[in-house]
Amino acid sequence: MARSIVQEFTKGLWDEVPPFRLVLGLCPVLAVTKSVENGIGMGVATTFVLVCSNVLVSMLRKVIPAKVRIACFIIIIATFVTVVELVMQAFAYPLFLKLGIFIPLIVVNCIVLGRSEAFASKNGMFRSLLDGLGIGIGFTLSLSALAAVRELLGTGDLTIWEKPIQVFGPSYQPFSFMVEAPGAFVALGLMLCLMNLVGKK
Amino acid sequence: MRDMIKMLLVLTILATLSGWVLAAIRDNTKDRIENQVLEFVKGPAIRSILEEATNDPIVDRFQLKDGDMERTFFVGVMDGAPRAVTFETSGKGYGGDVGLMVGIDVTDNQIMGVGVTTHGETPGMGAKAKTDPSFVAQFRELPLKGPVKVTGDGGSINAISGATITSRAVCSATNDALQIYEKLKPQLTEKLKEFNK
Amino acid sequence: MGDLIVLAISCILINNILLAQFLGNCPFLGTSKKMETAVGMAMAVVFVLVMAGVITWVTNTYFLQKLGLEYLRTVAFILVIASLVQFVEMFLKKSIPALYAGLGIFLPLITTNCAVMGVCLININEEYNFLQALVASFSYAVGFGLALILFAGVRERILLARVPRPLQDTAIALVTAGILSLTFMAFKGMV
Repeated sequence: MARSIVQEFTKGLWDEVPPFRLVLGLCPVLAVTKSVENGIGMGVATTFVLVCSNVLVSMLRKVIPAKVRIACFIIIIATFVTVVELVMQAFAYPLFLKLGIFIPLIVVNCIVLGRSEAFASKNGMFRSLLDGLGIGIGFTLSLSALAAVRELLGTGDLTIWEKPIQVFGPSYQPFSFMVEAPGAFVALGLMLCLMNLVGKK
Repeated sequence: MRDMIKMLLVLTILATLSGWVLAAIRDNTKDRIENQVLEFVKGPAIRSILEEATNDPIVDRFQLKDGDMERTFFVGVMDGAPRAVTFETSGKGYGGDVGLMVGIDVTDNQIMGVGVTTHGETPGMGAKAKTDPSFVAQFRELPLKGPVKVTGDGGSINAISGATITSRAVCSATNDALQIYEKLKPQLTEKLKEFNK
Repeated sequence: MGDLIVLAISCILINNILLAQFLGNCPFLGTSKKMETAVGMAMAVVFVLVMAGVITWVTNTYFLQKLGLEYLRTVAFILVIASLVQFVEMFLKKSIPALYAGLGIFLPLITTNCAVMGVCLININEEYNFLQALVASFSYAVGFGLALILFAGVRERILLARVPRPLQDTAIALVTAGILSLTFMAFKGMV
């Protein structure tokens, strides 16, 4: 079934949105969603790597020998990850400190390698670009949504551009379980359940 | 055989290109990254010590050799003359090394202030060394003779409750700094003259 | 010696790589449906992680740092890990077929297991020396295995329970992992 170009982009936003529909790349999802800011930062970084590596892999797909394709993909992805690492250190150092080792770990994020292998190595450049962009934006939105739920319940605030906004007012007793490690698992599990409820055909 | 050569060729070209691109980006961002690290890791401590400085201490920095180690010194200019230098030392804390920025008032020969930069101490306990300004405030205006000690060891510094090891680490880092200052004083005085405006 | 034991305990229990640091969660959910696969994956991770930890430490200390190429760390590490996994796979196939039969199918998955890459990076960030890096890699791997096997045991029981439809499969697994993570939180403050 051939998809239209628009569908190539929009499938990443709902039909195949990671990490809910495609249960991949969970580590950053769980680890950096303590605050909305971190979630968005991680999402944007991943999107950049995803789009760039998708385009490059698709451009080179005829040149790369099948036997060493994974090695080639890894070199391409790792290069872009290092670019993100350096640029983020130079221009958004506080965010880099908060995201810590999860920036270099984009390299082993299964979503990125998965898209190169499953999509970009078989499709044209423009489609790969849209695919990367769609999946990337979907991933960013999921991260932000999960982060918003966790931060809101866990602290009562929402932090945007380093300014905390008190949403529930000062009398709110923070449900700090949500920003601790176990809260990440439970929140993601319940959101997945919600997605299943809404998305049931 | 041809496959083999093609495989090697593609991998080599990719790896070379990747290295080349990264080296180029790295060269262009190197100075910015260095400044960012100083600004966000050491910056807050330096600025809190040199509150009254009229210059930007992070820009006015120089390096001196201490044995086989390079130390970076940040200069605080007050009333048009270089008044203080700050530099970083470290002490053994509860959760690894505690990095401490120590500011020395070269005019009045006393400690201008200290501030924790990096640490791995327990939040709410040892981490107070960084978050609670009243602890480090005790180091202000202490004489350079040293040694600085917590009250339990016969000194004058009230330790953070529940975090004696952290408090001791801060003291020992301060004492290290005093010794380094004594040792490098001649070179430092020489260097500081350059900042007279 | 005492320091190393403390390090080991904190890596296995307190900073458990799966439940507290969130590294390696894809295989955690993917291979924990059956006890058998969980044990296989756990063994493969211990095997590869210790080797990867040591080799990346050596690469970083004697190669990248000496040449001032720290910014190539991500690229270098992932290539080292990927080739290590390939090499181990070939070696096992030829020399120890019995072990290969047990671990074989899990090995390719390990390249993209962020637990392996993550531990290698933690070893460098924490500035561990060689011995500490070795102990930390081994302990993190043991912690990974412990959590994975415990979780697989729980999941086998969940199969027998009646789970509401929208919660089935991954969703209930995540909630269960949350509860397991909560129990591991009790180890905090032990060291």
